[in-house]
Amino acid sequence: MSLDKVLSNLYKNYGENPGKMLLHTGTAGWILSCAAQVMAIITNDKIAPEQKTFLIPQEIGDGLINILSFYILTSSVKNLASKAVLNGKIANKAIKGYLEKNKLTDKIGKIDFNIKKTENFAEIKEDFNAFKNGVDVLASTAGSILSCNIVTPILRNEYAAKKQVQANEYLAKRREEKPVAQQPYNRITMQGYQSILKSPGMRV
Amino acid sequence: MVVGCVDMAISAIKNTANKVQQAFYNAMPNFVAGQKADKFYKTAGREISSAENRLILGATALMSQPFIDFYNRTIDEDTRRVAVCRTIAKIIAGTVTGYAVRKGAIKGIQMCSKLPGKDVPKWQTLFTPKDVKKVDTDEFKQYQNALGTFISLGVMLFTNFLIDAPLTKFLTNKLNAKASGGTK
Repeated sequence: MSLDKVLSNLYKNYGENPGKMLLHTGTAGWILSCAAQVMAIITNDKIAPEQKTFLIPQEIGDGLINILSFYILTSSVKNLASKAVLNGKIANKAIKGYLEKNKLTDKIGKIDFNIKKTENFAEIKEDFNAFKNGVDVLASTAGSILSCNIVTPILRNEYAAKKQVQANEYLAKRREEKPVAQQPYNRITMQGYQSILKSPGMRV
Repeated sequence: MVVGCVDMAISAIKNTANKVQQAFYNAMPNFVAGQKADKFYKTAGREISSAENRLILGATALMSQPFIDFYNRTIDEDTRRVAVCRTIAKIIAGTVTGYAVRKGAIKGIQMCSKLPGKDVPKWQTLFTPKDVKKVDTDEFKQYQNALGTFISLGVMLFTNFLIDAPLTKFLTNKLNAKASGGTK
């Protein structure tokens, strides 16, 4: 695909839909962020191995939950708000006036009603799009605040606590199996962590 | 037979989803934005790019996430202290880098997506789609935001490891040392 085609697609897809862009780029951003944060914990020598056994799964769980909850919650909030504008439940004075003038007020709030598909939509197109973009962007922002800052931290703590118990049990078992001199517990390596992940019940 | 059952199940799910949505909109009061609210919505739609969005997320994260970690009673006190410090460090590092990289990429795209003209060098039209005739529209601004954000994601592949992660590590250790009274 040529660069111009990519640019034209971006223009068509996101030019009139900034809320969708925030949702898509936000999801991609969380994936990258999760990868970086896991690496930061693994390479931090000042965090004790026992704490790492909590923090690493916490970060992986955080990432997975973050990505899923971000996408599901943000897209739900955005779509509900977006549809509310399309069916006239959320409007400004110009949109309300348009609905009254065209005798469409009885259709307000019906999920199969879409103002954009009405006959004289061109009359308010510009005003409607600007208003809808604003509602979309604010709904996407509200959805991301709800998912990333409230739902995710609560869910990830529950998840990580369970993982810590499993990881500590595994480390304790390994301590029993190996002589003290062979225990490299001053830090947990990526290989070490992966071997923990490969043990039964620790796959994430 | 199986296909028919799947179709029926999908249609039943869709019907239920539609009914739930309709019930939601029936319960929702009509909202007509006044002049000030209308202006606010339109400005938000035009001006809030992914960079501002990241800043808002970071600011609200600082107001909620450390407290959620602090009151997490499923872990011991030491781990909880490190978790709180790391959460704060992560939010600060992530927000600062995320905002700067996104803003920088969007500004860069704005510089390189002008309409071709006599006094406009070719590099300044590098990211202008050929079918675009006007660049002073909201749609074009959103396009610049979108492209800038996608490019910033590519840049963040590197900054996440080169700036974000080490900065989080540095701040975590600083905060942790302070929180444990300089003993660690």
